[in-house]
Amino acid sequence: MVNTLNTQRGLRALVGTLALLAILFEATALVVAEGHAVLITRFGRPLRADIEAGLHWKLPWPIDQAQVLDMRRRVYETGQTEMLTRDKKNVIARTFVVWSIGDPLQFTQAVGIRNAPVEAESKLDGLLTNAAIGTLGSHDLSALVSTKPSDLQVDQIEKELLAATAPMALQSYGVKIEQIRLERLALPKENVTAVFDQMRAERRQFEAKYQAEGEQAASKIRSEADLEAARIRAKGSEEVARIRGESAAKIAKVYADAHRIDPELYRFTRSLESIDKLVTGNTSLILRTDSEPFSLLKDQEKTQK
Amino acid sequence: MRNLGPPSEIRRLAAPLSQVVDWGWLRMHWWIGILAAFYCVSGITVVRPDEVAVILRWGHLVGDTPALQEHGSGLLFALPKPIDQVVRVQVRHIWEVQVSTLNASSRMLEERSLDPLRQGYALTGDQNIVHVEMVARYRIRDPAEWAFYGPKSEDVLRAEVTSAMVRSLGEMGVDRVLSDGRKDLIEIATRRAQAGLDASRSGLELSSLELTRLSPPAVLASQFDAVQSAFIGAQTQENLAQAYAQGAVPQAQAETDAAIQSAQGAADSEIATARGESGVFRALHEEYRANPAVVRERLYRNALDRALGAAGDVRWVPPPPVGGRYHGFRITLNPPRGVNPSLDVNGSVSGETTTDSISSSSAVRPSSGDETSPDGNDQ
Repeated sequence: MVNTLNTQRGLRALVGTLALLAILFEATALVVAEGHAVLITRFGRPLRADIEAGLHWKLPWPIDQAQVLDMRRRVYETGQTEMLTRDKKNVIARTFVVWSIGDPLQFTQAVGIRNAPVEAESKLDGLLTNAAIGTLGSHDLSALVSTKPSDLQVDQIEKELLAATAPMALQSYGVKIEQIRLERLALPKENVTAVFDQMRAERRQFEAKYQAEGEQAASKIRSEADLEAARIRAKGSEEVARIRGESAAKIAKVYADAHRIDPELYRFTRSLESIDKLVTGNTSLILRTDSEPFSLLKDQEKTQK
Repeated sequence: MRNLGPPSEIRRLAAPLSQVVDWGWLRMHWWIGILAAFYCVSGITVVRPDEVAVILRWGHLVGDTPALQEHGSGLLFALPKPIDQVVRVQVRHIWEVQVSTLNASSRMLEERSLDPLRQGYALTGDQNIVHVEMVARYRIRDPAEWAFYGPKSEDVLRAEVTSAMVRSLGEMGVDRVLSDGRKDLIEIATRRAQAGLDASRSGLELSSLELTRLSPPAVLASQFDAVQSAFIGAQTQENLAQAYAQGAVPQAQAETDAAIQSAQGAADSEIATARGESGVFRALHEEYRANPAVVRERLYRNALDRALGAAGDVRWVPPPPVGGRYHGFRITLNPPRGVNPSLDVNGSVSGETTTDSISSSSAVRPSSGDETSPDGNDQ
């Protein structure tokens, strides 16, 4: 029984101690999660900003007060602002920044606690717009859009924008600008009509160009083919003539070889052939009766009588 | 507890609590022990296959390098709740975001101008206007960075992709972009957007960028189409010409080959004929050498027979009177059987004729005058 009583007492003491420790811990411990920072104020006066994530300590309320800040990076897109380039062209540009809280103390003082990110962004907007107007005003439009790579200076412009805004933002608002980039580039409404006209003219020009080029290419291919065909035909004719010439020479030689044996006989046979060729169905022959072969017949008649 | 504070008051206030604790302990001390044990192992958790988990101990990320920070799928031993916090990140999942910042709504497509505040578009390098609509797919590459410090995925992605596309379009001509440069454009924009995401330390990876629309303004669509069809027309013309060329050259070749073949054939056959004829001549010569007079006579007679047989008209005239002269002698040939009625060989044959035969072309017009054909012999 005594044992049970002792256990009960020990237990009560344990529970009490645990409860007390929990209360103490809650009042003095600060668990700072990754991506957050805590600003500690002592009697309302900023004391320190424990940025490193982990377990930190403070004095209990009402001496110290902790303010948790979101240190996550944010993306802010500025409004679209019309500005003038160095070559006096109106453009509408929009930039975006990637920012985070760089100096928690300065940030809370300059921006406040309530709705801090939105407040900070509205403060940044003016700074960014001014920087954009200033920076773009010192560059030509061709530095932003051009088909010539040597003209483009977007990287440099972004660097200039960063240099123009980052120190000021950190100093004034405790905002760290990590990136600033040109997000959009457009033309004022009034200028778009002119661009459309220009595009239309360009299209017409291209259409005519393609048509002309197509015709030219086609006729070139055709005439080249014709030329090639003519060349082949000419070569062929040459070859045919050569074959004919060679064969004529060969034939002549064959005949000559044969006829050389007896030119007199050749002459004789040739004359006979000529007669064959001369006498056709349209030929009338007038022969004397005393010539051959009639004379022979006549003689025979005579002998028969 | 007994030693703290003014004893009587506290004891009186804590009496119900200590009663509950005592009673609970008497009834359920095993259960409390089991609950305590459960609490101690409550940090142990399972990480699913598509996730990685990171542990925050007192808010601080455990591990110095990403490899040590990230825990893959399987059982994860973490401490219970207030000490450790397990953050799970779906790293294998591919998310999708539609980027319409550079696209105009279809309702406003037919307008003569574009209001940059309401309608999205981008300028190409040659200062043409195009509308672009994109779908970006991304995944989380660096879970810790993304979960604790990275900007909101969709915000940063939309901004970076838009910016990358504006810049990439700004350095290319509209014709390249709308035709064969599309692939290049996507590639360059993807690379640039990824560089931007890295620079912003977003912990994201752009896995693909797809263009769901890339077109000139609607009011100019017909002009762009006309250029396109002119381009295609030019290619068609070229193709037709190519087809013609591919037909014409082989045809010329074939014709030429045929001509050469036939010339060769003709030459071969002529040579063969010549050889044959010369062979005949040689044979004749052999015979002739043996019997010249007989062969000669035979050839002559054969030729004469052939001539008499072939001639259309053979007339026999008596020999001239002794003295060897015809006088006023006229031959009239029958009306022509053939052509050439114009030829006029109507005349006297006079003089010493020693020839064996007088051949005359046909088609001699019948002339008036004496008909003297004593031995007229129509064949």
